[in-house]
Amino acid sequence: MREYIFKFRFVFLLLVASSAKVSAQSFKFLIPDQAIVQYAGSIGYFSGGVGYELFGNKKGNLDLLYGFVPGSKGGVLNIATAKFGYKPWAIKLKEWGKIYPFNPAIFATYTFHKELSFKFPSGQYAHDYYYWSEALRPHLAFSSEIELDAKKLLKNTGIRAIGLYIEANTNDFYLINYLQNTSALTVTDIFQLGIGMRVKF
Amino acid sequence: MRIFLLFLLCAALASCNHFEFSPNQTFDKISLKDVNATNLKRLGNGADDDTVTFVLTGDSQKSRDETVKFCKAVNAIKGIDFVVLAGDITEFGVLKEMLWISRTLEDLHAPYVAVIGNHDETARGKETFQHMFGELNYSFIYGGVKFVCHDSNSREYNFNGQVPNIPWLKNELKPSPGIKGFVGISHVPVNSEDFDSKLIKDYTTTLAQTPGFLASLNAHTHNYNLFYPDDSGIPYVITSAMANKEFLVVQIVNNKISFERVYF
Repeated sequence: MREYIFKFRFVFLLLVASSAKVSAQSFKFLIPDQAIVQYAGSIGYFSGGVGYELFGNKKGNLDLLYGFVPGSKGGVLNIATAKFGYKPWAIKLKEWGKIYPFNPAIFATYTFHKELSFKFPSGQYAHDYYYWSEALRPHLAFSSEIELDAKKLLKNTGIRAIGLYIEANTNDFYLINYLQNTSALTVTDIFQLGIGMRVKF
Repeated sequence: MRIFLLFLLCAALASCNHFEFSPNQTFDKISLKDVNATNLKRLGNGADDDTVTFVLTGDSQKSRDETVKFCKAVNAIKGIDFVVLAGDITEFGVLKEMLWISRTLEDLHAPYVAVIGNHDETARGKETFQHMFGELNYSFIYGGVKFVCHDSNSREYNFNGQVPNIPWLKNELKPSPGIKGFVGISHVPVNSEDFDSKLIKDYTTTLAQTPGFLASLNAHTHNYNLFYPDDSGIPYVITSAMANKEFLVVQIVNNKISFERVYF
């Protein structure tokens, strides 16, 4: 029976794949446009991952990152991040680059740790005893990026451009604290920084 | 544009402490360590103090603005020896919340100590609390009275029968020379659903059988309450939440305890 199901699935997948015209071309969207490394920014001591440029105008960005916080830095934490950002403005700097001055983003982090649960166990707590998830965290961020054109600087490397960015982010925990205590807490208390680099292919 | 970049650079450099690795990190480069021990050292043993006066508050979660006013109100009262924050320092059990609250409490003239609450035990709160404040079960002696601070957040341990830690309590409540009285301080009161029902009898009996046991002080329910769970005559007192702008001034003279509700 199990084998039969497996076979069925296999045939089904083949059908789907062939209907999508299997060719390297149609899976091209899976190849990332950017490689990313980041320091801090609430998603790890260091994190790394890939970025996809979205929409026809390439103003959107989807980043998938994995971050790590070692025990010596207050971990040990493993963090998966999915970030959606948008670059509404670009300022051209002669021929060598661009500045994206203000880029809003939202991202979700999932932190893997034995003390962090996706949902508080229902046997232990009544419904709504605690209203949040410990492991899944929504964040709001703003970044500024300077993009250096690499076509001339780094010839024949396949690298199109290198982006350096600084990002400030906050999360639901900090926002709730801030919104209820606007005199004892400041915006700079709740926004945390990270810096990173995008290598664009 | 240059000014903008310069501004950005300055902002980044000025806020080097703002490079956060995760909201769930248990400490960072500038976070405090061993706050309870440091403050107790400052407090001393009060050997010459025949009037022990302290403030009991709790549930400061999400109430930073109120905590600022609280500090002013406490500082205005003369003769306060120390302040006890009886749990739920934070809402989400994260480092930043503990740092924010302690930043405000630094304004208190009197030293303060923190006792862990159930909210502080969510996420990695236990570890964070231990790093920043100290042990979950601890005691100190001031003016001949032993204050036994302990973790009574049974639900966070899924009622495993070990919280509150009765053997530890029994050991702490043993008579000893130089100690006239005992006061128990913990977050969840014995009459709460969040207190391990299997341990209620053992807990109250342990306190009742301790010669010179003055009172059990708690928080958690957010509203003032005074109750007697048994016929030992020992008062169990719950302080209001920080958000309700009310705290308790507790006074012990000649091993007699009294309570005053103070509004701010």
